[in-house]
Amino acid sequence: MAESKSNHQSLLQFAPMQSSVDEGFWHKLSSLKLNKLGIDDSPIPITGFYAPCSHPRVSNYLTLLAESLPSESSEASLIPEPSHGNRNRCSVPGILYNTNTVESFSALDIQNLLKEEARKIWDDIQSGRAVEDCSVLSRFLVISFADLKKWSFHYWFAFPALMLDPPATLVNLSPASQWLSIEEAGSLSAACNEWRGSKSTADIPFFLVTIDPNSRATVRLLKDWEACQSDDHKILFGFYDPCHLPNNPGWPLRNLLALISAKWNLKSVQFFCYRENRGFADMSLSLVGEALITVPQGWKDAIPNAVGWELNNKGKKGPRRISLAQSMDPTRLAVSAADLNLKLMRWRALPSLDLSALSSLRCLLLGAGTLGCQVARMLMAWGVRKITLVDNGKVAMSNPLRQSLYTLDNCLNGGEFKATAAVESLKRIFPAVEAEGIVMAIPMPGHPIDSKDQDSVINDCRRLHDLIDSHDAVFLLTDTRESRWLPTLLCANANKITMTAALGFESFLVMRHGAGPFSSAGDLSAETANSSSSDSCGKDANGKHRLGCYFCNDVVAPTDSTSNRTLDQQCTVTRPGLAPIASALAVELLVGILHHPQGIFAEADINNSVSGASENPLGILPHQIRGSLSQFSQMSLIGYSSSSCTACCHTVVSEYRNRGMEFILEAINHPTYLEDVTGLTELMKSATKFSLDWDKEIDNEDEDEDCFEI
Amino acid sequence: MDLKEAVKDKIPWDGTLPLNEFSLSASTFSDKWKMFNHSFPPWLWNPCPKHHLNSSHKVEGYLSLENVCLVKSCEEEKNHGSLSWKAESNISQAEEPFDHATLVCPEFEANHYDFHIVYSPSYRVPVLYFRSYYSDGQPLPLSEIEKDLPGHSAELLLESKWTFITQEEHPYLNRPWYKLHPCGTRDWMKLLLSDTYTSSNKNFIEQYLVSWFSVVGQVVGLKISLEMLNIEEKKLFETTASDIFE
Repeated sequence: MAESKSNHQSLLQFAPMQSSVDEGFWHKLSSLKLNKLGIDDSPIPITGFYAPCSHPRVSNYLTLLAESLPSESSEASLIPEPSHGNRNRCSVPGILYNTNTVESFSALDIQNLLKEEARKIWDDIQSGRAVEDCSVLSRFLVISFADLKKWSFHYWFAFPALMLDPPATLVNLSPASQWLSIEEAGSLSAACNEWRGSKSTADIPFFLVTIDPNSRATVRLLKDWEACQSDDHKILFGFYDPCHLPNNPGWPLRNLLALISAKWNLKSVQFFCYRENRGFADMSLSLVGEALITVPQGWKDAIPNAVGWELNNKGKKGPRRISLAQSMDPTRLAVSAADLNLKLMRWRALPSLDLSALSSLRCLLLGAGTLGCQVARMLMAWGVRKITLVDNGKVAMSNPLRQSLYTLDNCLNGGEFKATAAVESLKRIFPAVEAEGIVMAIPMPGHPIDSKDQDSVINDCRRLHDLIDSHDAVFLLTDTRESRWLPTLLCANANKITMTAALGFESFLVMRHGAGPFSSAGDLSAETANSSSSDSCGKDANGKHRLGCYFCNDVVAPTDSTSNRTLDQQCTVTRPGLAPIASALAVELLVGILHHPQGIFAEADINNSVSGASENPLGILPHQIRGSLSQFSQMSLIGYSSSSCTACCHTVVSEYRNRGMEFILEAINHPTYLEDVTGLTELMKSATKFSLDWDKEIDNEDEDEDCFEI
Repeated sequence: MDLKEAVKDKIPWDGTLPLNEFSLSASTFSDKWKMFNHSFPPWLWNPCPKHHLNSSHKVEGYLSLENVCLVKSCEEEKNHGSLSWKAESNISQAEEPFDHATLVCPEFEANHYDFHIVYSPSYRVPVLYFRSYYSDGQPLPLSEIEKDLPGHSAELLLESKWTFITQEEHPYLNRPWYKLHPCGTRDWMKLLLSDTYTSSNKNFIEQYLVSWFSVVGQVVGLKISLEMLNIEEKKLFETTASDIFE
């Protein structure tokens, strides 16, 4: 017989049982609460699972899984499904008190709850039920509060253990391989593996071990205790020990000792802490020990005290909290799915894709109509999260067909403001979008204003100036030419990336404006001091040819194009396919700019430019794309800035910088002011001296420029 | 090695595993694993009846290897710790008897991993799903999981064309799990196995998962014993495995 490890008596100390709650349990509880229980907070019977320790350094835990909870089906009453234990999951009964508020959670009388469960164990011991169905010895209790808005769960386990008073002492404890002889150890291993391998006994966590004089070990049920009394047999009380520690038995032994003392009145108990390694009985990890119970005569007449509330992660007596927002909050799941798409794109096709540039980009969309709705959606698909929409109109009954963010509901009761309806729609599509809607009209040249409105118009101008300053890219998506003038000027002033999309009946124009006249490729943020070179050929401070803006090709200033037009020209009609095409191209062009090392200063490529394609993995970066649906064709063009441009030339931007609102008001109120300022008037005068082709070309250009958007 | 020439007269194989061969391949894999990989528990087959439009009447399923523990030292910060319970004073501790019999012990923190091998009908290849959780059940975020992956794996994931961790719904458990994205699988399986492929080679089908796992397992640090591969594969494995991760 092996020698004992130690002979002096010390207090028998048990390693506390620990809890582990699988994510699936919380999912199921949430579902149960939402679909079946509602505010009913009566206690719910649940099933916990544990198994003998199977790892030399990691204990096993009492686990709650989705199966721990009763089924949700309305026919079934609230009882847990008969649990099919298997060798890895001994089921033990438990109870869950799930409260409806965090206040009622903290108000629970935990002492009494523990006492109640301890009483159940005690009653089972007294009645003999614990011998028949020993898993009740490991009965447990959980209190919880599920915050289903934040997807966080507060919970606290208790593993009631009946206290021996005075506590049991440990005579000796050693690995089973030392305490047993080699034959005995081998026989016990085999017997345990058989016990664990048989469906009928695999999940019975307390048992008896008898070893006969021939070193043959047998594992039996607890209820065979009387039957296996025999002088020459060694008897051990065995239990599945979740604990891995070499010097301490696990928690389940406590109630087993209480049972042994109360039922069979033993003073000296040989116990067997059964542990496994990789699924098989391991006699060196398993322990055999001897405990001495010295409770007084009347101990079992009254229910003993109980302990067992689990300590939290900080080692203190208190509840735990787990947050599952990451895997349960639909918004977060949507965000990670969206990010997944973009990451896949980058991983499989476009390694140089700059996802953080896209997600941090602030986009301002002027116009929330056909073009605006499509552009907003495309931007979100590219991972742009910050979108501001400006529109002063309301959703009309004809809009939902072509303006993809609106539905019939938005048209009722006079129609919601487009800017607000668009933002709500974007959030319904992707809750994590940071979208803002601004209901505001854009002041336009050639639309004179009354003096009483002057202040509010100035306010709008200032507001627009600030909006453009606070965004990184601006889309001009309004429905008149003149409404694009002020934004173009402000963008040229602030040197912001500006995308224009404009529609004719069956033709479209998409372009990126060139850099502003005061900008320098070397210093993107501020004007350089030496930008005094007022160029007459549209060069920026670096001497490079600036690309043009929407107005650079005009030889007339934007004036009131809406009056004196017939109805069908005024409320423009375009082929429905145009807006999606143009919007998509505008967004793709923007993404191209973002990935170009020179950004807004990038030179223009045209279709057959070879060098452009190899530099930028997204392809060439044109200046303008003009397309025709009747031809199913499109071509890219380059237009350089004009030094007489009414919106972006050096003169105009300087005037704005020097005179601010005064300049704007003059442009708004006097139709020919801009032409005078830029010298266009003079140009026109000299042009009319020569007749013929020049005029015809102007007419054609005019028609192209009369792009309206519905 | 120019594989193209070697397979010229054979039927060109696209690198995939047919659905009806998955369970056979799975059982070969788990048998060999049990035989040769003693440091790990065995893989279990979990049958799942599921209704697919194009499925045969065979029951589908997946392989699972659960509760693989990575033990951490005590000092590592448990950054998933619970909120400090403000109302601790509410709980009348005075009433509970002081218990000498409870051991106060420092706990080792462990990260637990569950691995599932699930068949993907759309890519027609197996996919490795995994998730990780702390001992109390709270899931680990990907940033923590990445710390557990073998050193070379982290760079592999950033640069490799073939392996990529994504988070998607587990096809049977309806919860987000992590997986190694399968869209490159058929390409590198082709690289790995084209040479030994013939449509009549039963052994090949059985070996599919073993070969597949010899590559994929490395990403998550589950090394298979080379004994599991047969001789031709071992040679192949040594020469092509490095190619795959270039």
